[in-house]
Amino acid sequence: MHGPAMTTTKEPAASAAPPRDPAAAPAPEAPTTARPARDGPRTIRSLRLARLAKKRERKESKALVNPLREGLRLERMPDPFAFVLFGGTGDLAHRKVVPALYQLWRTNLLPHEFMLVAIGRRPYDDESFRAEIRTALDKYSRVLPVDEQVWAAFRERIVYQHGDFNDPAMYQALTTRLEGCDAEQGTRGNRLYYLATHASSFPDIVGELGRAGLDHEMHGGGWRRVVIEKPFGRDYDSAVRLNREVGKVFRESQVYRIDHYLGKETVRNLLVFRFGNGIFEPIWNRRYVDHVQITVAESIGIEGRGSFYEETGASRDFLQNHLMQLLSLVAMEPPASFDADALRDEKVKVIRAIAPMTPEQIGREVVRGQYGRGWVAAEEVPAYREEPDVDPESETETFVAARFEIDDWRWAGVPFYLRMGKRLPKRASEIAIQFRAVPHRLFTDAGADPEPNLLAMRIQPDEGILLRFGAKVPGLGIDVRAVNMDFTYGSAFNVDSPDAYETLILDALLGDASLFTRADEVEQAWSVVTPIIDAWADGPPAEFPDYEAGSWGPKAADELLARDGIRWRRI
Amino acid sequence: MAPPAATPAPASAADSFTAGLVPRDAMPVPGEPALHWSSRVHSIPDIEIELARIWAIPKRTATIEGHEEHHIAARTSVMNLVVVARRQEIGEHAAAIIQQLTGRHPSRTMIITSADPEGRSWLDASVQAYCVLPRADAAETCAEQIYIRAGGAAGRHLGAIVAPLLVHDLPVTLWWPGEPPFESAVARDLLGMADRLVVDGSTWGGDGLARLREMSAAMDRDRLSVSDFALTRQSRWREAIASVFDLPEFTQFLPAIRRVAVTYGTHDETGAPGTTNVVKPVYHVAWLASRLGMSVVRPLVPVEGARPGARPAVRAAGRPGSGGPLHRGLAGQLKAAKSEVAVVVRPIVSPMPSGTTLRVEILADRRGSELRADVTAEAETVHVHVWLDGVEALDRSFLAPRRTEIDLLADSLEAGGPDPIARETIRMAARLTGS
Repeated sequence: MHGPAMTTTKEPAASAAPPRDPAAAPAPEAPTTARPARDGPRTIRSLRLARLAKKRERKESKALVNPLREGLRLERMPDPFAFVLFGGTGDLAHRKVVPALYQLWRTNLLPHEFMLVAIGRRPYDDESFRAEIRTALDKYSRVLPVDEQVWAAFRERIVYQHGDFNDPAMYQALTTRLEGCDAEQGTRGNRLYYLATHASSFPDIVGELGRAGLDHEMHGGGWRRVVIEKPFGRDYDSAVRLNREVGKVFRESQVYRIDHYLGKETVRNLLVFRFGNGIFEPIWNRRYVDHVQITVAESIGIEGRGSFYEETGASRDFLQNHLMQLLSLVAMEPPASFDADALRDEKVKVIRAIAPMTPEQIGREVVRGQYGRGWVAAEEVPAYREEPDVDPESETETFVAARFEIDDWRWAGVPFYLRMGKRLPKRASEIAIQFRAVPHRLFTDAGADPEPNLLAMRIQPDEGILLRFGAKVPGLGIDVRAVNMDFTYGSAFNVDSPDAYETLILDALLGDASLFTRADEVEQAWSVVTPIIDAWADGPPAEFPDYEAGSWGPKAADELLARDGIRWRRI
Repeated sequence: MAPPAATPAPASAADSFTAGLVPRDAMPVPGEPALHWSSRVHSIPDIEIELARIWAIPKRTATIEGHEEHHIAARTSVMNLVVVARRQEIGEHAAAIIQQLTGRHPSRTMIITSADPEGRSWLDASVQAYCVLPRADAAETCAEQIYIRAGGAAGRHLGAIVAPLLVHDLPVTLWWPGEPPFESAVARDLLGMADRLVVDGSTWGGDGLARLREMSAAMDRDRLSVSDFALTRQSRWREAIASVFDLPEFTQFLPAIRRVAVTYGTHDETGAPGTTNVVKPVYHVAWLASRLGMSVVRPLVPVEGARPGARPAVRAAGRPGSGGPLHRGLAGQLKAAKSEVAVVVRPIVSPMPSGTTLRVEILADRRGSELRADVTAEAETVHVHVWLDGVEALDRSFLAPRRTEIDLLADSLEAGGPDPIARETIRMAARLTGS
């Protein structure tokens, strides 16, 4: 079996290779333009072409601020900075954020002049906090064992600030500390505030940062950015309120709302797959696509986070963010450029085009479920209602499936089926594009109709892309059987993919917000999900539990698709 | 072109080699390539037969309750990698590097050496397959390595040996360690079938500039992508230089550069032109010039006359600027949009490897304001110092760990598609040195 080919191709011929930008073209080799000789006749067309060329030239020279940057994207290193980690003693910081920073440091992607200022309520000093971080790295670092030499330099850059998130005195102390970092470690006034705390603390922290003047960007350098973890609000109104609170202090360009799903390698590859290949876009529409299925299946339960999950449930925890993000990436129009706003403009348009649902439609087209006892991976597991910190009569859903339609020219009439569940048989996430069947059955002698084509993008595990097509079964007759062409990342690129947090933290440090969610995007997603949550709250109590742990969810989820004559893919 | 007729190679001790599947006693260790197959043949058709056999014969993987469980190893290839090795030891060195990359860039690799050009035609090939478990939880990846020695007329027609053995539809990368004779018939054959050429310009003899110009011509003639380790090694320097002009207050100085000076280390105490390879320092200037849209007014030529007061035997240098060879290096002139730019490439006696860049200085004048950027390297760090009107305005350090040949080859193979930055830099370097 061949692995997928790397796409090396011959360089364009020297004479046929126009310079990428006018500034990079040496004068003697500059290409000739459509402009005719000065004394020649000038047609309307030539004038228009000349005007367009000039316009393009102006646009390009404006876009390329530092021409030396071209081609250095992967080598770019952030400016010196202080990383201010709120919730530094918490689980997220220990499991994800600090290991991601360590990994970036280990691979020389952070500047010398960097400081990690962790803030927490627990009474650590610098040394005891560093010991705590070392323990976390020994457990959660992506590359083990921890490199002692790398750690020795990294630990020197960690300091701890003890205090309460809504205590103004703490912010005064923080200001002094950060000024000290600027003076001694050369962090040059650049600050990234990372809010890895409980969501209820977000408004307090942002407000106090503003009151302490820690949001002010300085003239001639000294940027200030804030990264806010999910959940961003718990419904439409609270998300709007939170956006307003954040907006009072920070400009939108300073705000990075993180959804770690967008940092996953396969999710980023979705953009490359769609817009870096010419052959898929022409068939990426209602004319060729029958339906789309997006699945995020988890075999784990709630992992001791009973109180958190009781407040959120699958809809808030997954549907509003991860699933909506995947849907928008699959369905969006090609952006005009790969900059943050162009990309997010298109994503918002898709979510805005999701047809609003009436309570009756919600009853018919959205399914919720909650797991009961069962067996997962040869182990008996308790029901959700038996988990610690969970109400024995809990109405919280651990499974959600929905059928959405996108009312635009590209997708009208194409159903998008989304499902997410806890305690399903296995951990698997994928996006499946089911194409329409062939319009005319040509091989009438074949034993069965050819199966329609399918394109499945596996997000985890075994990241890869599968294309199913029909092939003739060897023999004298004509029998068609579906075969798979399977690309796996593992066999084509045997390099470790960066963790999503590494990708996203580096992007935030470089000021690239493409993979972060914008305020209107969050609100729009909530405007789709909030009516569903409200309808459930207003309706009769659900008959939970309605699926056994280790099964693929409640029967109603299967019926949702069966009504359209299809079924969920077996993953 | 038909493969040249070949007769068996002269007998050697290696002829008693056991052909075929290599039994494996232990479980594979993640990251360590294990020999899966090895055989030896003497003609192209036999190589093709062996390549087919490798993947058809099941290998024993485990014995469970007395029953042997078999499976067939699957080949994974993302490219053809052809290595032209002038001598056997160069081939062995290349083979060792490539094996380290089996898990990362599985390729059908051919390492070819020609020998005994005046003798009768013969071919001797060792066909091997290596498998590696990239991680404990990943699938095993296998790739073939064919080591070919060709003598007589066969050795003069390497293209005819390589062509039938390429995996179709996969790109061809040609790695040519040492000094590729770009204008020779053998090189023209091989370059014509390659998509990417990998070389190390810093190892070329003399000042390396004549070969650099030949490579630039071959690159355009054969529409090749080129990865030159000499250029890849400088990526942190480029990052450091680019970082200066990220700052908005300094970006505006880019069109106002009026002098670029690159200092390199030499072991030759006379510093005479042509004795030290200067490909790396020239690449610095060429990269800047091509990115900034400059053109060449006067190519680099040796500066006439000895340095005033210089003595030939100065050797205290560890720091740039502390040694003073007799000669003053090369000088030329570029033209930017609004001004002319003086270029100096000068030697300093230094214990660092010959031809290593020690300092890049950029001087710009704009509306009566002067910006001086000074980029230097020390151990594994690149430092950037910037002065604005004589006042220090920036002081930054970038980690620049030394990169092994494995890292450099991996970078080149990962590059995949065309690299316009490298292409334009090499073209500019050729123009800058007089092509």
